[in-house]
Amino acid sequence: MADLSTQNPGGFAQRAATAMLRAGGGTTASLQMPPLQADTSDAGQIGLNAPGFLSLPLAPVVFRKARVALGDGQLPKYELLVSADAVAAQVSQLKLSSPQALFGQASGVVVAGKLFLIEAVSASESQGEAYLYRLLLQDAGGEWPM
Amino acid sequence: MQNAKDTFYILLRGRLASLNPARTMTLRAVSRPGILVSEAEAPAAQPILDAFALNWTGMQADLQLPAILSQMTCEIGYSTAGTQTNAGLDRGRALEEMDYEVLKLLYPYSAQKMNYTTNPATAMETMVFWSEPEFSPVVIERDRLSRTVKVTVFAFQEQGEQ
Repeated sequence: MADLSTQNPGGFAQRAATAMLRAGGGTTASLQMPPLQADTSDAGQIGLNAPGFLSLPLAPVVFRKARVALGDGQLPKYELLVSADAVAAQVSQLKLSSPQALFGQASGVVVAGKLFLIEAVSASESQGEAYLYRLLLQDAGGEWPM
Repeated sequence: MQNAKDTFYILLRGRLASLNPARTMTLRAVSRPGILVSEAEAPAAQPILDAFALNWTGMQADLQLPAILSQMTCEIGYSTAGTQTNAGLDRGRALEEMDYEVLKLLYPYSAQKMNYTTNPATAMETMVFWSEPEFSPVVIERDRLSRTVKVTVFAFQEQGEQ
């Protein structure tokens, strides 16, 4: 049976999450996004051309080591908690259909000058609206500074 | 060897665009035929559904011939979960369609080797040729069906070619 009670989402959860991230040592992470002028050439598809990724800043975010049991030879995993307000601003600016489209286009995320690969994305919701995104990250093999 | 790999991919991409123009994907903001070289794209946690991914694995060289003959193994992976219209219940049919497309993409089993580091691409003096496909059994992961097709690609190393 449908829940017909009146709900007035006022963005309280979003503001609380943003404040919590900021108070918890919030920093800035950058999504690696494809360039606005897409490379349609053959060279762009066979690894000849530099991809020219754009850095899309997201703040506030909190970065921490994920609580997963590691086995031999496994790379450590990390969590990035991202404010839904920050994500919504970038989704709106890039005129994307959804936050999932934003994360789907990202080829990685840079935190403190280090590249990480996105393994999974999940959202915490209140009254049907996301207030916090959780990205599961893994170390990228390349150790080059970003 | 890189020229042979590039030639193989771009040839298959062209054949796919002719064979099934509807099989497209959007990758790095570019809408293109649904085929990619995994080592030339950002790593992804999940495979792109309904697209072909070329993975170069094995490598051998025959040094007993006047020119070095490279034998490279290309594993073409593809996965599908069917269509939204049919709630995924057509995933078997979708996989069969991709199996058929692989057969059509690979035939004929040769092409002129091209050098794509020049603009425009230039034809080289030898051919790239490949074996008939070896289809692996289907791998079932919940609603996703996946298969890998193995092809051995042969190419002569030309003078001055890296």
